[in-house]
Amino acid sequence: MNRIVTIAQNTFRESIRDKVLYVLLFFALATILGSKVLGWISIGQDIKIIKDISLAAMSVFGALIAIFVGATLVYKEMDKKTLYTILSQPMKRYEFVTGKYLGLVALLGVSLIIMAAGSTLYLKIAGAAIGLIWFQAILLIYIKLLLITAFAILLSTVVSPILGALIVFSFYVGGHATDVLRDLPPQFDGTRAKQVLETLYYVIPNLNLFNVQSEAANMVPVTWPYVFYAVAYGISWTLFLLILACLAFERRDV
Amino acid sequence: MSAIVTHDLSKTYKSLGKATVHSLRNVNMEVQENEIYGFLGRNGAGKTTAIKLLTGLIQATKGRAEIFGEDAVLPSARARIGYLPEHPYFYEYLTPRETIAFYGKLRGLSKDAIRKEWLRISEMLFLDEFADRRIRGFSKGMRQRVGLGVALIGNPPLLLLDEPMSGLDPYGRRMVREIMLRLRAEGKTVFFSSHILTDVEEISDRVGILVSGVLAASGRIKDLTAGAQKAVELCCSGLKDEDVNAITARGIECRRGEEHQVTFILPEVAEAPPLIAEIQQKGGMLLSLIPVLESLEDFFTKLQQREQNPSGKDGADHE
Repeated sequence: MNRIVTIAQNTFRESIRDKVLYVLLFFALATILGSKVLGWISIGQDIKIIKDISLAAMSVFGALIAIFVGATLVYKEMDKKTLYTILSQPMKRYEFVTGKYLGLVALLGVSLIIMAAGSTLYLKIAGAAIGLIWFQAILLIYIKLLLITAFAILLSTVVSPILGALIVFSFYVGGHATDVLRDLPPQFDGTRAKQVLETLYYVIPNLNLFNVQSEAANMVPVTWPYVFYAVAYGISWTLFLLILACLAFERRDV
Repeated sequence: MSAIVTHDLSKTYKSLGKATVHSLRNVNMEVQENEIYGFLGRNGAGKTTAIKLLTGLIQATKGRAEIFGEDAVLPSARARIGYLPEHPYFYEYLTPRETIAFYGKLRGLSKDAIRKEWLRISEMLFLDEFADRRIRGFSKGMRQRVGLGVALIGNPPLLLLDEPMSGLDPYGRRMVREIMLRLRAEGKTVFFSSHILTDVEEISDRVGILVSGVLAASGRIKDLTAGAQKAVELCCSGLKDEDVNAITARGIECRRGEEHQVTFILPEVAEAPPLIAEIQQKGGMLLSLIPVLESLEDFFTKLQQREQNPSGKDGADHE
């Protein structure tokens, strides 16, 4: 356990130094603050627009951090050969992968807290009411980021960062479109394409499950059982992907 | 117990669209405890591959390696290894003190143990002078010292050092040699790879020579080269120039020294008595007759030539 914590602490420290993080955080905060501009042109809807855009910014920029930092995480260690001295220590490879993962999700947690604190403060100044649903929405965004990071780590152990980032990005887009795969128009009935797309629906995690942004913007509450279900769904997928990442890395030559 | 034993250790790299590379082929090797074992080979001979197999960084295609009787792929075997890669890379934003602490934690050492290790290692490698500077701006020699420091954390009984002296200045090389000797004196086993023969010859108890992934020879240097007399050097004085020229005209190599001293180099000792008689007959005086034994370099070169020309009739197989 100590080894995992050591790797996680170091990954956190290393990622904090990553310029990509600052660029993305800057754009996220700029988007949140810039949402006021859209608020002006949508008369009477400015608070709703600010909430909507703030949550979307947390989701998208959080995912971009997960994709770009996550997809390079293990590969970079192989490329820079820092892995040689680490894996030759009396540690198990899964400890390394888990430590890298935890370091990055800690970083994502801090990034999300900064973005959430910024937007909450901004909304408070704007006189908006902040309900429980606002924080539930942020929690579910974080669970989604945990899942995306696990997939990014899995790819980081087997492919190059560019290819990995592209695949994770497709996974992100596909994961938000799973409803389309399920609710196909009747023309597809009985076709092979329908079977394939329906299979994809079950193979790709449904990232829309974590999306309660519209409810948060409109102050429509969601039930706790729904939140628990979404959290359990996200954690299950995350564990599955992390186990795959550990297995893929177990016998990999470095 | 042996520090390292390998059984038919082999590594083959296969990749799509590229030729299969047999990096290591059926290597059977044994390294005793408390010895310095020099692992020789040209660039690309498979030395780094063998060391990576011993550290569990890569998986053997065939065969296995044992570290103090334990399978090298087990973390418990790695607990007894200190490893220095050929080009040690560390987190550039860490200082040597932080680097030692980081690897100490990975070895499961307590804070107090890490502090003691820092004192021990920094004293041995003179790390104090740049203890709190970031590694980013370090020279090759400084990185190598940090790398050695990392290998020494936890006082492991076996050190695997991949080209520990490459790229170092004479002072750095001497320091590394002295550290290796000190480690042996402390009861450690040192296994190091190199293609610098003089370094190996100077400090190794035994050597192994890899040629194209095959362990072509293994043993004590004097056993590997024993009986392999390369030449006989016959030194004399008092010969006239025309007498010397008459001898060299028969194809005998010679070296002229100061005060009319001449050294004739004969390929066989049997050729010495008639030449000695001839020198004395011509008024010369025999000063010395020295057999020249084969050096490690000669032996190494012979093995490489045998690999390039397998049908050659060079000496015996030492494996």
